[in-house]
Order: sequence, then structure tokens, then C-alpha cells
Amino acid sequence: MISTKNLTVTYKRSGVVALRDVNIAIPGNTVTCILGPNASGKTTLLKAIAQILDYNGVVEVTGKDAKSIIKELRRTLSYSSILEERDLLGVTVFDVLLYSRYPVSRGFFTSEEDTSKTREVAVKLGIEGLLSRKLSELSAGELQRVVLAAALVKEPRILLLDEPDSHLDVYSKIWLSGFLREISSSVTVVLSTHDPLFASLTCEYFVVLSRGRVVFTGSRRELLENTCVLGEVYGVPFTSTLLGDLHVLIPLHPRFAKTTQREEENRVVEKSPVIPPTHEKTTSSREDFT
Amino acid sequence: MKSSRRVVLVVFSLLVASTTLPLIYTYTTTLLENVPGVVLERILTYRLYRSLYTVLAGLVLASAGCMLQASLRNPLVDHYILGIGSGSLFAVYIALLLLERSSLWVISLVATIGGLSALALTVLIAESVSGSDVAYVLSGIGVTSLFSGLSVLLLHYVVRKYAYASLMLTGTFVHARPENLVYTSLAVALVLVGYVVLSKRLNVLMLGDDYAAQLGVNPGLTRLVASLVAGISASIIVSQFGVIGFLGLVTPHIARFTLKTSDNRLVTPLAMATGSLLLYITDVISRSLPGGVGEIPAGALISALGAPFFLILLTRRFRGALR
Repeated sequence: MISTKNLTVTYKRSGVVALRDVNIAIPGNTVTCILGPNASGKTTLLKAIAQILDYNGVVEVTGKDAKSIIKELRRTLSYSSILEERDLLGVTVFDVLLYSRYPVSRGFFTSEEDTSKTREVAVKLGIEGLLSRKLSELSAGELQRVVLAAALVKEPRILLLDEPDSHLDVYSKIWLSGFLREISSSVTVVLSTHDPLFASLTCEYFVVLSRGRVVFTGSRRELLENTCVLGEVYGVPFTSTLLGDLHVLIPLHPRFAKTTQREEENRVVEKSPVIPPTHEKTTSSREDFT
Repeated sequence: MKSSRRVVLVVFSLLVASTTLPLIYTYTTTLLENVPGVVLERILTYRLYRSLYTVLAGLVLASAGCMLQASLRNPLVDHYILGIGSGSLFAVYIALLLLERSSLWVISLVATIGGLSALALTVLIAESVSGSDVAYVLSGIGVTSLFSGLSVLLLHYVVRKYAYASLMLTGTFVHARPENLVYTSLAVALVLVGYVVLSKRLNVLMLGDDYAAQLGVNPGLTRLVASLVAGISASIIVSQFGVIGFLGLVTPHIARFTLKTSDNRLVTPLAMATGSLLLYITDVISRSLPGGVGEIPAGALISALGAPFFLILLTRRFRGALR
């Protein structure tokens, strides 16, 4: 669905290479997670796929160079991050949703379709009560929902979400996880997060970045088999544990790491034997760690 | 009811003036339809045009204010705060001083160059500091002070050649002429085209540069075009009638507050109407003050009303109420 070939991003002002030779292939109609510590290039990767920054290399969407289908992508792809701009001009929640239909809205003034779609999405995400509120009056959690709604109003086929779970309480995170899995039957979702538990509850496919390089790509099961990849990247050991019928990722305090992590890893292997990951880049790091 | 009030206002503004035609005389002669040709000509060519210019200038300045605030995501700016006003007036003074016979065309062009240069200077300084909304205000005040100071220095020489030059410092319609119509209409046309082309894009731009980019709006280009439209149109108005501050600042806020939205497609027309009405009323008041003081510049009156509004915005901004 989405693939990159030798994707390299260099920030002109600082000269920092944020991404270096990234080659990934993200499957369609799944929830994909980009994991990695701060400054590993997660946001940059999402922005490059969203075509809002300059890059070298190729980003392909459905087999076509993204640059050549940019107009279509503006209608079918949504990139969403928490709105950093302090709003001082009295922008309301309704305004944000309405403005976000820009690529698909026709005519100069707001159409009936614009209004109905906006309200429909607001109801779907449970924010219809916030529509007349100003952005500046919202809590961070409320704003997060509004931002997600804004990304959905143009009914995209690809949804890129930069830390959609930040500032959310536990209930909202569980709701978001379920919501994203539900819509992934028709929408390709790619998200970045700092929460491994949320990631493993929500996502099917994983890309792990470290200092601008890809150190792992694979399915959830493959990642659970290789928690050492995360351990090396984050500098904190990870383990996977069974939660209901789902294995989830949990970072460990270094004090408990040595014993607990091995036990947990063994347990996963016993219960669900899987094909070992084929990604050569991860092999060395796994060996180093163990 | 509202339209009848407007009609009364229009008639009133045609009748009232500080010196030339006493109220009773005008009233009776108009009513009796026995108007001497000279008086009729004066009323039509001077006061009617003058009223028209206040309406059009108010429209342009309010629209420029909307565009500047939305494109810079800054509620504290208008063409005056950003230095466009004083920059273009300074350029006008230079032109009046250096050119023996300067046409309005040349004056408008020079004013535009001056206004845009001042705007560029303000933006450059503000962006080099932090690019915050307050940085823009402070940088703008600095640039405005610079050009205002230089203008006052030049004024002593300019006023010998052009008597109304001193009134242009605060904006006045006292020297309104039929020839102003072409240039004022040009500014109106420019902001109307800008309104149609930019409104939807500015809506998106208010949500942030990255946000605008992912929706297919080029943030840099949109900001540049909006600044040029606002800068050129406001400079043309300054070249005709002088610096009228705070109108472009106040009117978008009134419109946003009334409509409870930030949508520029709706805010801009209401701001335009409010700007027209405010400037029109201010001009009527400025030429009908009692006590035989003659005429005061309309722009001074607007500043006296608008500056406290600006200060309220500024204090609210720092107390966090605007957030």
C-alpha cells in the first residue's frame, strides 16, 4: 500500500539527517505503528509520507510515486498531529472540522454536504457537544479527539496519526484502540506512539526507528518475538505478556529485567511458535542484546 | 427600520460640514428643490464622494485587517500596527517633496512600495526574534515609530507644498476629490478578489502551516499573497487619505465575536460592512463637532476609539483569556 525506497530526509536549516535510507512496505487496511524513542524520526517519516516536507528517495502509494498523484493524495490521505499552533482567532471545533474538508469541499461557501459530513463525524467520535467550543477552551484530551475527527471528515483512505494517544486517559485510549482497529477494515492507518502497550493492543504491523534508521519491520507477532529490538532502541528492556487473549508489550524496570524478560519471552515462544523474522537489520541487534 | 436609519445618516452626512455650508441653508435649499448650481455641485462632487470614500476605505482597511490577522495567525495586527501605514505615508511625503508635479498614480505607486517595504522590515525583525504574535506587535511598533518620526520631520517641508499633508498623519477625508475614485476602487477590487481567492485558504492556514500543507494549501505562498493584497490595498488607501489606524484591527474582532466563528468567508464581509459604517460615522462626527473647532481628522477619532480596544486585546492575550 505505502512503500518507501531509500527515503532520506535532511533538515536544511540544521543539517540534521532525520531519516536515512528508509525502505519499508506498509500493508494496506491495517493499523501500522511506528515506534522509536524521541528524535528517532517517527514524525518525519509520517510527514514525508504525507508529502509535507522535502525528501530524497521515493514514496510510493498503491504502487505510484506519491509526488505524481499529489492532488489525489490531498483528498484521500489525512495527516494529523496535535495542533501546535496556539489559536488566538477564536477557531471553534466546528470550524476545524469544516476547514479540514478543504480538498473535497466544492464551491466557495459551505455546502450542505460539508455540514452533514462534519456533524456525522462529530457524532461518531462523541464530540458533538464540543462543536461550538473554541479550540483554546479544550483540554488536551478533547483536542486530541477533535484532531482525529478533523482527519476523518474528508473520508480518507489513508490516515497518518502522529501520537494520537498522547494526552488521552485510559478509557479514551481503549476506545481509540478499538476505533482504529474497526476503521482499519477500510482505511490504512499508520500511527506513531510512545506507548508500547497501546501499540501492541492496536497495531498489526510495526516499524521501529532508531536515529533515523529502520531497525525492525514486521508483524506484531514478530515484534513480540524480538522485544530485544525495542530494548536496545529504548535502552529499557521490554517483555511481552498475555493480556486476555492478546500478547502485549511492556517496558521493564532494569532491576527486574534480567530474570523476568527471559521468562516472558520463553512463555511467548512456547505458546505461539512463530516464523522467525527475516529482517537482517534486526539480527545483529538481537544477538547483541541476548 | 435599519435602512431608514441609514438613509437618514446619508442625508445627514451630505448636509453636515464644519465650515462651508450652514446646516439650515443646505436643508432648506435641498428641500425647496431650488438649489443653486454651485451648491449642488459642491454637495455632489465633494460630500457625496467624501461619504463614498469613507465607506470604501473602511471596507478596504477592514478586509486588509482580516487577511493580515488570518495569514499571520495574529489577533493583534492590522496595516497600521505592522507599519504599512506609516511606511507608505513616509513614501508619499518623499514623493510630494521631491516631485514637482506628482500625479495620484505616482503617489499610489510610491506609497505601495513604501508600505510593502515597511511590512517586509516588520516581518523580518519579528521572525528573527521569535515570530510570536507579540514579536510582530513590538517589531511593528518599532517600524511604525521610525517612519512616523521621519514623516513628522519631513512634514515641515511637505506642508508648504501640500496643505493637507499634516492631516494625512492621522487620516482625513477633507481633501476628497473625484479623482480619488479610480485608486480607491482599485483597492476595493483588489480586496474583493483577495476575498474570493484567499478566504478558504486562510481558514486552513489558521490551523498551522503543516496542517495547511497536508490539505493542499501552500502556507508560504498563501501568506505572501495575502500580505501583498492587504499591503498594496491599504497602501493605496493611505496614499489617498492618510493613515487610519486600528480600524483593520477592531473590525475583524467585532465580526468574529458577532458571528461566533472564525470563518473568513463570513467574517470578512461583516468586518467590511462594520469598517465602512464605523469610518463613515466617524467622518460625520469629525466634521460636525460643536464649538466651531472646524474639522478634526477622522483617523484621529478612530485611533482614540481603537487604541483602547487594542490595549484590552493585549491585556487579555497576556492574561491568557484569548487562548
